[in-house]
Amino acid sequence: MNLWKDFNRGIIPENPVLRLMIGLCPVLAVSNNAINALGMSVAVAFVLIGSNLVVALVRKQVPDQIRIPIFIIIISTFVTICDYIMQAYYPDLYKALGVFVPLIVVNCIILGRAEAFAYKNPVLNSVLDGAGMSLGFALALGSIGVIRELLGAGSVFGIQLFNATIAATIMILPPGAFITIGFLMAGLNKLENKVQ
Amino acid sequence: MLRIFRMAAILAVFCIVSAGLLSYVYLFTKPKIDLFAKINFNNSLKEVLAEADRFNAKKSDSNLVYEGVKQDKIIGYAVPVSIRGYSGKIQMMIGIDMAGKVTGVKIIEQKETPGLGQNILKPNFLDQFINKSTADPIAPKKDIDAVAGATISSRAVCDSVREALGLVHKINLEEKGKQ
Repeated sequence: MNLWKDFNRGIIPENPVLRLMIGLCPVLAVSNNAINALGMSVAVAFVLIGSNLVVALVRKQVPDQIRIPIFIIIISTFVTICDYIMQAYYPDLYKALGVFVPLIVVNCIILGRAEAFAYKNPVLNSVLDGAGMSLGFALALGSIGVIRELLGAGSVFGIQLFNATIAATIMILPPGAFITIGFLMAGLNKLENKVQ
Repeated sequence: MLRIFRMAAILAVFCIVSAGLLSYVYLFTKPKIDLFAKINFNNSLKEVLAEADRFNAKKSDSNLVYEGVKQDKIIGYAVPVSIRGYSGKIQMMIGIDMAGKVTGVKIIEQKETPGLGQNILKPNFLDQFINKSTADPIAPKKDIDAVAGATISSRAVCDSVREALGLVHKINLEEKGKQ
């Protein structure tokens, strides 16, 4: 039951993007189309689950005073591995995500979960927490990506649905990201009020 | 005192393990990464000078150009140019035939604004340069329709095409001088 709770937490109740509002930098930048959003989500999931796993594994050996530098070493190792692998096997996606892959290292979701959860909890719980948070991040980023691509470029996952000339270009530019996130947050709050 | 050494040792262990792991991944992925970069570059040569069967690298002053060869005859040049765009470098390949006319422009790498500057990748912008020569002004508002909302990106492409044309013009003059 506890395990389920740890997994579930990141999806809606503490959704990193729409609830905690952390890690917004990549969310704003790469959610201009659905494929980029998906690629970014996979990269973040790899790093987040990996770093949560390793942090939980070594937490008893890590002295309190130097935990942050050690978290950063662990996180940046995973980010760099992810960066190389993406460059070698998915060059097109890598080109589209650009600088935001190396920037995962400063994504506060990842350091936040290492500090707030993985450092205090056993391995299995930490991995599930990482998976749940990644899924929550992916759902938020994915829906923002789909909405922005649809309204801003008239396509979804690169498939043209209507003529791009009547689309609102503002939606694939930065203001579109803020507008979309705002509406999604409002929608989520409304939904929750109803449920309660 | 002992505690400090213990912490330093722990931190060092983490660094060493991380560095070892990363160098392994680096060695493992490096050949693939280089391969993609090379394929990308070679494809751009063929795209801008489709007629050529093979390309020879040639140095002209400090610039590297590629001679496009078809049946032992040079039929044109492919010139790699790199210029500052609106955000970061734009790397381009420009094909020019022996008559000094542009045969194709291909953008290899760029980091322009999605939705605005990135429209310089579209054929209806790039195809405008075909058949241009040093006799043309090659500038937005003159003979080139700039991409809407992306004057700087458009101008950067124009400047590069002009630069490549100038370079090939110079090489042609030198070749003629030798004969």
